[in-house]
Amino acid sequence: MAKQQPGKDNFTRNIVIAVVVGVLLIMLVPTLLSKQTDTSAKVPASVSADRGYGIVFNEELTGVPVIEIYEDFQCPVCAQFEQLQGDYIESLITAKKATVVYHTLSFLGPESVNAANAAACSADEGKFLGYHRALYANQPAENTGVWSNDVLGILGQAAGITSKSFTSCVNNMNYEGWVSNAAAAGAKANVNSTPTVFINGKEINRQNEYFNADKFKAAVERG
Amino acid sequence: MKKYLPWLGLVARLTLGGTLIVAGYLKFDELDKSQMAVRAYELLPIPLANFMGVFLPFFELAVGILLVLGAATRIAAFVSGLLMFAFIIGISQAWARGLSIDCGCFGGGGQVAPGEADYLTPLLRDTGLTLLAIYLTLFPHTKFGLDKKPKSVTEQGEGNNG
Repeated sequence: MAKQQPGKDNFTRNIVIAVVVGVLLIMLVPTLLSKQTDTSAKVPASVSADRGYGIVFNEELTGVPVIEIYEDFQCPVCAQFEQLQGDYIESLITAKKATVVYHTLSFLGPESVNAANAAACSADEGKFLGYHRALYANQPAENTGVWSNDVLGILGQAAGITSKSFTSCVNNMNYEGWVSNAAAAGAKANVNSTPTVFINGKEINRQNEYFNADKFKAAVERG
Repeated sequence: MKKYLPWLGLVARLTLGGTLIVAGYLKFDELDKSQMAVRAYELLPIPLANFMGVFLPFFELAVGILLVLGAATRIAAFVSGLLMFAFIIGISQAWARGLSIDCGCFGGGGQVAPGEADYLTPLLRDTGLTLLAIYLTLFPHTKFGLDKKPKSVTEQGEGNNG
């Protein structure tokens, strides 16, 4: 039996091998390309491509600490961090005592992408900090479908955003390309968990400086 | 005994291939996280780690599918053996250096809180899978595979299971 149809058997096998390897290669190439930075992507207000596509506050200051925060709006630990350190960081921004860069990563899933895009839209309205706060205050469990663009649009009201341009920006995913660029920049910066905080380019101590108000303050002032 | 070897090979193929397919599939949807998982091993330069984070899920899927179908079994088994060996090295060095990471074997990955890392389970699993890969590399002719059986191994009364 086997001797009569070796050609046919090998043919099937070879076709199968070619199809499996071929299809996955064809899928791999565009995926790799999509991870590249798209310099033509629309960028929201106050974003600096030089600062890894983060949303920057007090860019113009010199001689103050630069605080870079990598976060994912769906990450529960980021919500804890915001709850503990959010007011302090905002006060630094208002008092012009630090340059603060928010990097909105989106590795937890599609709703992180939605939220990051909506946050970018709120930056255009000049209400990023308020919206940032509103997102964490209303954070649902990860990828439960709660953060649709409709809900994220309505959530703008919590930050005092009522404009039509905001809701259309959220619904049209105007900044999807930017979200992907921010993710790629986070990958280049070797950020392996959220929240990750760099002060003047150096990560603060993961053992004790993230969730202790005094130690975090000391880390900022140390610079 | 010889009669049962192809069946043992079938079990090995399905276990190894099935594991690879599941591992690849679970990473497929969250490639950012997969990149993060590879970076967290602190073994490869960042750009290479980011490339591997995207490449690995595709690779695992391809090799896994070939193993389950029993096509190019010997090569697929050899390659997955190398892969498992690389995983063992990666996990061991993370453990030895005291990193706190999730192995990211089946999606997930990245840093975890100190003390929460589990290295023993993935090491034991990958060791078992390496043994299966070695077995299949040595005896790639299994039941219900697409690979043509070489004449020397053709057994009595058995057709070629295409």
